[in-house]
Amino acid sequence: MSAVLDHPIATPTRDAEAMLGAVREIADGPLAELADDIDRRGVYPEAVLRRLGEVGAFQAHLALNGERDYGAAIQAITEVSRVCGATGFMMWCHGVCGLYMEESDNPALLGDALHRHARAHTLGATGMSNPMKTFAGIETLLLRARPVAGGYVVNGTLPWVSNLGPDHYFGAVAVVETDAAPHEIMFMVRCDAPGVELRPCPSFSAMEGTNTWAVRLTDHFIGAAELIADPVRPFIGRIRAAFILLQCGMGLGVAQGAIDSMWAVERQLGHVNEYLDDRPADLQQELDALTERTLALARTPFGTDTPFLIDVLDARAHASELALRAAQSALLHQGARGYLMSSSVQRRVRESHFVAIVTPAIKHLRKEIARLSTPVMPA
Amino acid sequence: MSATVVALVWRTFICKACGLIYDEAKGDADSGLAPGTRFEDIPDDWACPLCGVTKADFEPHDAQPLPRRANLNARAVQPRASRRDAGIVIVGGGRAGWQTAQALRELDADVPITLVSACSGDVYDKPTLSVACARAIAPERLVRESAAQAAQRLRVRLLPHTHAASIAAAARQLRTTRGTLHYRHLVLAHGAAPHSPATLPPELCWRINDLATYQRLRAALGERRRHVVIVGAGLVGSELANDLALEGHGITLLDVQSRPLAAQLPALASGRLLDAWHGLPLRFVGSVQVASVQRCDGMICVTTACGQTFEADQVIAATGLHTPGQLARSAGLAFDAGGIAVDTATLRSSDPHIHALGDCASIAGQAQRYIEPIARQAQAIASAVLGTGDARFTPGAVPLRVKTSSMPFTLHGAIAGKGRWTTDLDTADELRMTFRFRNGDAGIRLEARRGSVSARHPRPAA
Repeated sequence: MSAVLDHPIATPTRDAEAMLGAVREIADGPLAELADDIDRRGVYPEAVLRRLGEVGAFQAHLALNGERDYGAAIQAITEVSRVCGATGFMMWCHGVCGLYMEESDNPALLGDALHRHARAHTLGATGMSNPMKTFAGIETLLLRARPVAGGYVVNGTLPWVSNLGPDHYFGAVAVVETDAAPHEIMFMVRCDAPGVELRPCPSFSAMEGTNTWAVRLTDHFIGAAELIADPVRPFIGRIRAAFILLQCGMGLGVAQGAIDSMWAVERQLGHVNEYLDDRPADLQQELDALTERTLALARTPFGTDTPFLIDVLDARAHASELALRAAQSALLHQGARGYLMSSSVQRRVRESHFVAIVTPAIKHLRKEIARLSTPVMPA
Repeated sequence: MSATVVALVWRTFICKACGLIYDEAKGDADSGLAPGTRFEDIPDDWACPLCGVTKADFEPHDAQPLPRRANLNARAVQPRASRRDAGIVIVGGGRAGWQTAQALRELDADVPITLVSACSGDVYDKPTLSVACARAIAPERLVRESAAQAAQRLRVRLLPHTHAASIAAAARQLRTTRGTLHYRHLVLAHGAAPHSPATLPPELCWRINDLATYQRLRAALGERRRHVVIVGAGLVGSELANDLALEGHGITLLDVQSRPLAAQLPALASGRLLDAWHGLPLRFVGSVQVASVQRCDGMICVTTACGQTFEADQVIAATGLHTPGQLARSAGLAFDAGGIAVDTATLRSSDPHIHALGDCASIAGQAQRYIEPIARQAQAIASAVLGTGDARFTPGAVPLRVKTSSMPFTLHGAIAGKGRWTTDLDTADELRMTFRFRNGDAGIRLEARRGSVSARHPRPAA
């Protein structure tokens, strides 16, 4: 059963349909086998990610071979998050890195590099939590860049960057320290480059298998080949809705997985579960409406007008809230069997918490909606 | 306190990335920092034991916790209204919102009511904003009742400074910036928003449609005489121009039409209004289209398409209203040129659980931007959603009052056909006119009498 795929508005193209079928096979097969190891033993599902790349899950949203299909990209992340939220998150990390590359106008990040990325022959990620919060007025930038001949030298530490490995790369932002008006640059950091050190992190709830590291940059050189954007703010303004829309797949998938596990015990436990709030049919109806709304927004992923941005932020917040409610209710529906450490049901509770707190967290989304809803007036 | 004593105080520093606190008294044994290690003595390459950033990303930490206090943004004076069952949820803290709360409470003492307001929700009369100077009401005295008092009186759960983001209609949820509310019925009373043409950028042009903005404008004008350019000589623009001129500010009023209030008044009446403004520091410039508004040398320059430039301390845009469609759209409500389409008698939208009234509602394709019908609309909604009472809304001809205090106008009736204006009385102080249809029937009666004409508060030049 897939309400996500069967919904009338979600009529994927034949290519997207084939891709989503293949993604679902991977999710229900090798990924389902591995999910507990990813969660409890910190196994990084590199083979699964590469396989997802082979079937086209990371290129639907890119204009490489035709039209962008953000809806299909979101649905692919949904199908995977339904089985394993951590892997769904890593799909977003890699997918949004592809977005940075495609929008960069940098020949070194386009062409063959982007094709290899889209097929997951190489793997990428994103260190944009700190800049996104900085541009929303919540934090200050942690990386500092100094202009030198042919580029910049960057110093500083990013606390938690996921989906990394020695041969991986990720997008980051640094503030340029000059006498002139301050500005920022966005660039790709290659984890095996000089001056890049991956340092271990403490354990994270539900995210042990995501290869999350602190990254310390010491006099790390950024040349023309690594530049993604300069200046950064117009670039972020352009990709912001697309960045957030792709994340919606995580919340939609975790919620769907939770609803699946409620139905799984309905025959045995329905006679007592009927007394619970948030029954699966109600949640499914809400999830279907939200999926429809998200896919409608995904038709114009590069919209920048204020009502559209508010809609995108609110859809992302709704996906987080629905994942929280569905995961919580699934645990109540399953009872003790869902509370076993080996059960996907308690794992999904932790995954839903991650969806709700990863940047932009529910509180950030609401603060930003409030800011965008407040009319501008003279100072 | 001596320097020695100060030096003995251990300080704490917080990691800006993860919130870890470094306490000089405790040090950091795992990385070899002994208890008592001063922050400045920590090596530069030391890493936060939790997230790995360096010393440069720490800042002094104020360890004193904030006092615990009630959440000021959600006054639950009506404990029966909860998020799970917010009862009847009203969006909008203006007159339409409060009138609805009042009408509901009059019919039902117990029904939970939640009111969501983007502003403070303080109760005031919006029409007063354009006559506050004439009536000598200080901007800070325009509030009739605080939102908290009104909420207490009507036993309403109030969510002030809260923005409604969307409606999940099938699940009957209102999504807001302070959480999601499950409603039995939803009443949209969020009003209309000023037009925002690109030539009048919001960071340079005031748009006066609520008390808080008006108060900020008055504060920006201050005590000195200012030059104010007002773009748009409709009702709001003409009334504000008249009122701020009474305060002694120099006003330039611009419009694309050749005369003020061209959409509301016959040419003779516009002319009499211009005569009445003669003694005020108010200049009307007609037949001009604003091409740009820009900062220039500490002033704001308003340039017209025909090349004239007007310098101003403040610029006010009064170029009309439109109904924001985002909430209605998210619920899939029928929406037309006037706003949210509602049934005339019950004010019900195309969704049986959602009603709308006031400036955002559209009856028979017409926006409803008058004060008088709001209370009757609220009563009709209260009857409909509670299933008690028999109030039904019937639109009636509402007299239009133009509050240009130098010469206020009242118009009775509506133009519903071709005809022409005739003058019944035209003296130095008074004007009476009638719009007659071709068959001779009177369509509109216009009455006007000269009022106060001189600036009441001559001000020192800025």
